[in-house]
Amino acid sequence: MTKSPPPFGFTRRRVLALGAATSATALLATRASAQLRLDVTQGNVQPIPIAVPDFVGGTPNDAESARGITQVITNNLRRSGLFNPIDPAAYIEKIASFDMLPRFPDWRAINAQGLITGRVTRQGDGRLKVEFRLWDVTSGQQLTGQQYFTSPDNWRRISHIVSDQVYERLTGEKGYFDTRIVFIDETGGKERRVKRLSIMDQDGASVRYLTRGEDLVLTPRFSPSTQEITYMSYGQGDPRVFLLNIETGQREIVGNFPGMTFSPRFSPTGQQVIMSLQQGANSNLFVMDLQSKRTTRLTDTSAIDTAPCFAPDGGRICFESDRGGRPQIYVMGASGGAAQRVSFGEGSYSTPVWSPRGDFIAFTKQGGGQFSIGIMKPDGSGERLLTSGYHNEGPTFAPNGRVVMFFRDQAGGPSLYTIDVTGRNEQRVPTPAFASDPAWSPLLS
Amino acid sequence: MKAGWTISAVLHGVVLGATLIVFAIKPLSAPPLEFISTDIISDADFSQITNGIKTAPKAETPKPLVEKIAETKPVEEHKAKVVDKKPEIVATSDKVEPPKPEPEQKKPEPKPPTPAAKSEPKQAFAKEPEQKIDPIAEALKKDAKKPDPKTQQKAETPMPQKKPEPVKPQPKFDASRIAALLDKRDPQRHSATGATLSQTPSLGTATGRSASLTQSEIDALRARIQQCWNPPAGLADARDLIVVVRIRFNTDGSLSADPTLSNSGSHPTFQVAAESALRAVRRCAPYSFMPITKYDVWKDVEVTFDPRDMFRG
Repeated sequence: MTKSPPPFGFTRRRVLALGAATSATALLATRASAQLRLDVTQGNVQPIPIAVPDFVGGTPNDAESARGITQVITNNLRRSGLFNPIDPAAYIEKIASFDMLPRFPDWRAINAQGLITGRVTRQGDGRLKVEFRLWDVTSGQQLTGQQYFTSPDNWRRISHIVSDQVYERLTGEKGYFDTRIVFIDETGGKERRVKRLSIMDQDGASVRYLTRGEDLVLTPRFSPSTQEITYMSYGQGDPRVFLLNIETGQREIVGNFPGMTFSPRFSPTGQQVIMSLQQGANSNLFVMDLQSKRTTRLTDTSAIDTAPCFAPDGGRICFESDRGGRPQIYVMGASGGAAQRVSFGEGSYSTPVWSPRGDFIAFTKQGGGQFSIGIMKPDGSGERLLTSGYHNEGPTFAPNGRVVMFFRDQAGGPSLYTIDVTGRNEQRVPTPAFASDPAWSPLLS
Repeated sequence: MKAGWTISAVLHGVVLGATLIVFAIKPLSAPPLEFISTDIISDADFSQITNGIKTAPKAETPKPLVEKIAETKPVEEHKAKVVDKKPEIVATSDKVEPPKPEPEQKKPEPKPPTPAAKSEPKQAFAKEPEQKIDPIAEALKKDAKKPDPKTQQKAETPMPQKKPEPVKPQPKFDASRIAALLDKRDPQRHSATGATLSQTPSLGTATGRSASLTQSEIDALRARIQQCWNPPAGLADARDLIVVVRIRFNTDGSLSADPTLSNSGSHPTFQVAAESALRAVRRCAPYSFMPITKYDVWKDVEVTFDPRDMFRG
């Protein structure tokens, strides 16, 4: 064995040479840099113009479902407020084939930035094949493309999934279209209002009723698995918190408490339910493990503590309490302990709910003869009212934390609305009748 | 009291009446004004216009003035070359120092700004001779000490070898030399920076700085890009996501190449942010409003898309 110098040893000469080389390249790099530098710090917050021509039908019979899918996607994107689907009447090119490259100059001419093309084909086995491509019109590049197989009556969900893909690809945020809303459907006169637990897609389609309306139901909430709903109901006897499996229709009472329980909510893991238990004139917070049925008391005060809600990491909870005189929002550890008041504005605060993103707590604020929906940071700073009016209540976040849904009482009954956390883009959610107490599900897929 | 009032009133009336008559006799006349047409330009424009622009169209009148500048500067370059060569030859000795005084001599030349009055007559007389005078002048001063430098200036390259030897005496005489040089080189300066030159940019002075864009022109470009930029909503979460895009233009303001990214990021939404920036640049093309005379400045632009301000608060 002869010792030879290691091929890549750090001799002084090598290091020097390396240093010289680096400085030389650095010099070259600076030489090659542009002459003029410019900072663009403001953008145009207008919705992104996007073209969604009808998906191509693989066979003539598929044209109808293709058009339906296109319309659901268009509607989703428009309602988000971040996209501006261009009127199909303005389209110059008619997309005749999914496999050919679109004529991008034609789409640039109508000022589109994005273009969605797609094809719907019914397979031999009866399933539906849905393909789509999202194009960057300015560069002519495909940004994303997918294909899905599903049963034909599932076409609406596929449309939502495609919408989510487009949304995420162009905004950098997760979408929220493939989600459901559970809410209280209200029919009948004011004296004999029938309230039914209902579920629908986030765009108001596919409404299903989960209860028949004999009992009064309130405050339904989704479990993280989206398969279960917890809610409060009372027919005979005390109001109770129930658990309902959406698929099987199975129903059970949560816990065996000696008083009325209300305002339940799932923990982020879905393993626990947190709720209020009334004890005399007071109410306190309890958390119950659904597996072991073990309950833990979190607060023990001579005040009304209610409307608890977990932070998305499960480490803290926010709730409403009148221990300070008027109802205000407090935050404390998920296992109890000292609570810290976070709301300090005029009026009273109620129904706090933590954003799935963790950055905000949304609340209902009552004061000055008005009910407002607002958001604040979890430390209570940066309070911002999104909407105010005669009666607004019960905010719930979309899974991406960008949109808040709530209900508003007007014209004889409540209806559902959405608004961006920016305070813009207020939209009414279509429901078959009056509707209240919405709760947004997590993404289904 | 009444008497006092009346006297006062009468006297006042007399004085006022008198002034009316006296001043009315000679109406104030103003000599008719001659109108001078003026253009308002910024300081930056003014200083840069005198330097000339590569891409400017050839202007007939100002040419001679510019040519002088162009000629004087090559002289400097020659000297610079000489300096480079000296060290090679001298190698072992400390004689490298002498070349330094020479560049010093050159620097003073440009500095003295001088009255415009002198410049005009001299321009007319001799534009080329002036430059020749300079070397001679230098030579004259150096004559006493060195015969060599003269030849160097006349014949650019071959002479430097001889220089090093006589160099030593030079430093001692520096002060007087510089003074002499300054005096004689003044006239060149006058012709070079005379106000007349500023009328039109002219072609090709080698050392002329190219014009820079005015603030309003930069703002126009920025505003155009901002208008086309739809910052993705996801940027609100990633406030530090900065995208730098390099743009290369044609003279008509169109993109000569697809814009490229100058930075990269590991954040999941960086790609989305980068694409939105590239889309903005492509959408806005062509940028036909950019002044073609300053193409050199904006042919290659680096734009930093910084959304932090937008989502603040």
